[in-house]
Amino acid sequence: MTDPISPLRMAASGMRAQTERLRHTAENIANADTPGYRRKMVTFEEAVRFGRPTGEVAAGRMRLDQTVLPRIHDPAHPMADPDGYYDGSNVDLVIELADSREAGRSYEANLRMFEQTRQMGASLLDLLRR
Amino acid sequence: MFDQIEMMRMARAMGLHVQQRHVEVARNIANADTPGYRATDLQDFAQTYRRDDGSGPLKVSHPRHLASPDWSPAEARVIQVAGPVSPNGNSVSLEEEMVRAAEVKRHHDLSLAVYRSGLDLMRASLGRR
Repeated sequence: MTDPISPLRMAASGMRAQTERLRHTAENIANADTPGYRRKMVTFEEAVRFGRPTGEVAAGRMRLDQTVLPRIHDPAHPMADPDGYYDGSNVDLVIELADSREAGRSYEANLRMFEQTRQMGASLLDLLRR
Repeated sequence: MFDQIEMMRMARAMGLHVQQRHVEVARNIANADTPGYRATDLQDFAQTYRRDDGSGPLKVSHPRHLASPDWSPAEARVIQVAGPVSPNGNSVSLEEEMVRAAEVKRHHDLSLAVYRSGLDLMRASLGRR
């Protein structure tokens, strides 16, 4: 007998992880023009409880993108060095947009799964009527 | 009368199988973006019940003994889904999982409908409405 609640928990964990990812994407987009800002990334991993994989997903530690920051030439900028250059951010808006789309799509899939689990549970309980 | 119980037993086995498959689908969808995750599925229900395990049916020594059923539900096997693997080692395809989720729903409805009709038949045979 499988736990009827576990699909609900899995879908909820998926939604939580995708929200986390979407949050970091939003931070990146908001800071796309912040000098010296490094892009934030999260990787997903399978959640482990008591040494056993539960099938749920969790967002892992946040990491910073270590690609080199672009040097931007603007002598009028307050942070410019004597040569007139300053460090920009390594956020690529196209990548962030694609990432947020994908996160939204996966979130919806999890939401659909959540709905379906609820419906199945309700129709099962419906057997008890009458 | 006992045929109906047999029928309900099979509907119940199907419901249990579908519930396990539902868990697999939910796990796949939750891990749709986990690097290195491989999608899993359950064996088809038709292949999971044992028709004959070689030991033969129970002997009936009296005409009023119940015959043993000639099938029994077996533990469903988890299988790996064959399919393209993305560069990060993940083999979940959200579209296929949606199809599988629809199948799960359909089979679940079917097993419940059969079970319910069995209940109705038994209720009718008892003379109640």
